[in-house]
Amino acid sequence: MWHARSWMTPLVLTAALLALATPTRAADDLETLREQAIKTALKKVSPSVVTIETSGGTDIIVVGPANPRGGGGGAKIRKGTGPTTGLIVSADGYVITSAFNFANNPSSIFVSVAGHTQKYVGKVIATDQTRMLTLLKIEVKDLPVPTAVPKKDIRVGQTVLAVGRTLAQAVDHPPSVSEGIISAVGRIWGKALQTDAKISPTNYGGPLTDLEGKVLGVLVPASPRTEGQTAGFEWYDSGIGFAIPLEDINQVLPRLKQGKDLTRGVLGVTMQGADQFGTAPVVGTVAAASAAEQTGLKAGDIIKEINGKAVLNYAQVLHQLGTHYEGDAITIKIERGGKEQVFNNVKLGGAVAAFGQIYLGILPMRDDPEPGVEIRYVYPKSPAETAKLQIGDRITKVGPAQGNNLIEVKSRDDLSRLLATARPNAQIKLEVIPKGEKKAKTVTVALTEMPETVPAELPEKSSKEKALTRKGTPAPPKKEDKKDDKKEDEKKIPTGLINRMNAAQDHKYWLYVPDDYNPEISYSLVIWLHPVGKNREKDVKQLVSDWEDYCSKNHIILVGPNSENDAGWIASEVEFVLEAAKFAMENYTIDRRRVVAHGMGLGGQLAIYLGFSSRDLVRGVATVGAVPNQNPKERVPTQPLRFFIVTGEKDPIKEAVNAGQAKLAEYKYPVIYRVLKEKGHQYFDEDSIATLKELVRWIDSLDRM
Amino acid sequence: MIRQRWMVCSAVMLLACITASSARADGSLAQVAQQVNPKLVKVFGSGGFRGLASYGTGLIVSPDGYILTVVSPLLDTRDLRVHLSDGRRYHCKMICMEPELDIALVKIDTKEKLDDLPYFDISALAKKQPVDAGTGVLAFSNQFQIATRDEPMSVQRGRVAAYAKLQARRGIFAAAYKGNVYVVDAITNNPGAGGGALTTRSGELIGIIGKELQNEATNTWINYAIPISAAVEVIEAENKKRMVSIAEVVEKKEKYAPSRKDELKTKEENYHGIVLVPDVVEFTPPYVEEVRPGSPAEKAGLLPDDLIVYIDGEQIPNIKAFKEIMGTIRPGTKIALEVRRGDKLQTLSLTVAEPRKKPR
Repeated sequence: MWHARSWMTPLVLTAALLALATPTRAADDLETLREQAIKTALKKVSPSVVTIETSGGTDIIVVGPANPRGGGGGAKIRKGTGPTTGLIVSADGYVITSAFNFANNPSSIFVSVAGHTQKYVGKVIATDQTRMLTLLKIEVKDLPVPTAVPKKDIRVGQTVLAVGRTLAQAVDHPPSVSEGIISAVGRIWGKALQTDAKISPTNYGGPLTDLEGKVLGVLVPASPRTEGQTAGFEWYDSGIGFAIPLEDINQVLPRLKQGKDLTRGVLGVTMQGADQFGTAPVVGTVAAASAAEQTGLKAGDIIKEINGKAVLNYAQVLHQLGTHYEGDAITIKIERGGKEQVFNNVKLGGAVAAFGQIYLGILPMRDDPEPGVEIRYVYPKSPAETAKLQIGDRITKVGPAQGNNLIEVKSRDDLSRLLATARPNAQIKLEVIPKGEKKAKTVTVALTEMPETVPAELPEKSSKEKALTRKGTPAPPKKEDKKDDKKEDEKKIPTGLINRMNAAQDHKYWLYVPDDYNPEISYSLVIWLHPVGKNREKDVKQLVSDWEDYCSKNHIILVGPNSENDAGWIASEVEFVLEAAKFAMENYTIDRRRVVAHGMGLGGQLAIYLGFSSRDLVRGVATVGAVPNQNPKERVPTQPLRFFIVTGEKDPIKEAVNAGQAKLAEYKYPVIYRVLKEKGHQYFDEDSIATLKELVRWIDSLDRM
Repeated sequence: MIRQRWMVCSAVMLLACITASSARADGSLAQVAQQVNPKLVKVFGSGGFRGLASYGTGLIVSPDGYILTVVSPLLDTRDLRVHLSDGRRYHCKMICMEPELDIALVKIDTKEKLDDLPYFDISALAKKQPVDAGTGVLAFSNQFQIATRDEPMSVQRGRVAAYAKLQARRGIFAAAYKGNVYVVDAITNNPGAGGGALTTRSGELIGIIGKELQNEATNTWINYAIPISAAVEVIEAENKKRMVSIAEVVEKKEKYAPSRKDELKTKEENYHGIVLVPDVVEFTPPYVEEVRPGSPAEKAGLLPDDLIVYIDGEQIPNIKAFKEIMGTIRPGTKIALEVRRGDKLQTLSLTVAEPRKKPR
């Protein structure tokens, strides 16, 4: 869309006249006009584009916003230390920028503003976690606020400029520029503009302007993928870049200014079927205490409209919900039993779960082909103990306390799944065959929330050692069983320390399999993510010697991917880490309920990231000397995730670790938090061996329920 | 109303103009490409393994076959060859390299009489003012070795994103060349592009495309060219300062003496009296733990708990950066320290002293 502005008119005319006279030259002059327009636009927007510098903070990998179903995938890279970009949004000192720029939780933020020689200390006021934007405040008045282009005027194909400060930090000079067009509007579930201008860390937080220097949006890394490892940042400079419309930002500015983070509005339903696009959106489950439950939505309801817009599939539902924040009210039209029904003023909930994981208080015996679940251990003071369940008892059926429709429990995973969606304080009925008896009895149990405990001692016997004899149990898949069988026939399965390369032959990793490995026993998989530089041969040997006894006794296999460069981990390496883990899972008997990401320092940051981004795989995250991210993702009842967070008492990042673990607990994740007395930034040593042993027991008990 | 009519009128004329001349605009670009291509060569040398390209691009800078390109492992061979735009092939010999500019000069090695090659007049071009952000540019190179023998180079279109120093962005781009570069928004960071030409839309050479450069911290690549006007100050043995420039390399040819940085002198021994908090994590902010009594730091008014933010305008994000920069400051130098004290930034002036004699 070309607005022939008054100031341009004479220029345009000149061009046109020239065009008539000397056509070849005119083409050049048109280009010259365009170039002048770009430079003028740059100068115009320049005073509103500030330079942001930070000091301190963790050298980090970060998790995106609490938004597992699409929405700004978030930043997760090792952040450089260069200056970044921000945009003034109100004259009294508010600056909006990409949350990416503070991904490393810097201890200080400094902002340079055009026309001011002094630099100002910036304070983080709030973060919009749905759009990866952070609002800063500096104590300055009368700042120039750019003009926002209304969303309705933004057209696909119009020329835009991506503007940044990293390459041009002197605020009294024009910023850096990349030219492109608007490629699409309403991207990332309705939240972002897409452009083919080159967007990268050099301009995240900067404006996307038109040829008049008016601002369409603020540049951010973003990804529409559900839990993709390569969200947003991976697309830097690719011709796929995103900006959040300034009009939307201005609309939520008053809320951000109040200092409260904005999070995604959650309806609290899952859909039937896995196809987001193919079928009508039929409600599968309704989360307890969610907006959907309070409204009275029920499983089987077909969602027809949201805010008056027809939705034909689940993707369209997500698209309509995507732009909304916690607390926003929406209107939903559904079809139930052939009749349409409208719910007005449905107030969306937040990502923080109403309650934590459900707790029965038992450990199951593993690798047991018999139907039902044999109890390996009963937690003291647990609902199971109260109901007088004993070690050796076998749970065969489960159901609600009222009525008699009990469902057969086929396996451990079956029971766990059936319990996952219950509510705390719910009464359930269990059919149990007591140890040594034939006749089943029923007991009633009042469930609670899972407390954070690690038993001081666990029964050594944990497995029936019949992992390969599966009858009607889903995991691991049959194909793998066959493979294992075949392997066994052909040759001995390799054990000990094994060095390997990934398929692309560009990354190394190692495996440690105890020499007494028995494929009939399911092993826990611990993915070790080394701290920066600690991936030499001697480091690996040290780690293996720390762990080998436990690997054998507690059935643990270690896998240790190596970061590509000595400077540490970067986000794109997550794919390779997963590849290494998958190799172990395909070639050894691995218990999917006990896959742990374990790391220290930057490796610990990656472990946390891996935990949140690979929910289908990772069940536990154990870190030493790593700061948990400030914005955990919401809990998924069917994909439990637990944390074991360790820091040294004298580690300078201890306070940040403490704050991070508290945040995880706030999101209702079970967290074990241990402070090693008198220790700094270091891994377990002889003095702290008790905590390492506790970690091993924690790993052994990850399949508790 | 009048204005509106003007606008409509202009818009119509503009449209007409665009339609009528778009073909010719392409024609004019083609003309530019025709002018530039004969001054470019395809360079072939060693490499071809471990991801190193064995090919690159070069600029002819004299009628008798001197060629300017970027320093790369590709040049490390006795069998260096170039292909001219007309398909002629020649062997080349190395004339000189300038490490601080990251450029190399080679010469066509032939018994044939060569004196009429089309070339870029570097001396004249080096005198021109640099262009600013937003300027439209063209990039010519043999990236990915798409062009062979007499085929013309690949041409890309883009804009100057910024004219800026890379090195100033501490920790972001570690390049040999410390001066200003043109960052462009075309993707030129490709194998074989190094040594190619960055020109204005009218084909005037403004830069030589730099070799592939990656930001180690974020794994991002940067698209840049070293300006033809590049000139940087080097401190050589005995603290002698010297300016080196592309023009000088091209003018002096065989007589050019590459700069030799005095490696021993880069680490300065000095005393400031600032004791920072222990540097234990990778990103420890430079908080002052203690100020030595009677030290330059005390005289400057530094206090414990101050956070050092800038030294001489350069940001100090962590203790590592503090140590690096203090290691380059000579005794007797006055530096401007900006520190965060509470929520305010304060500027202090500190004169770095000679290292103290060790007590015996």
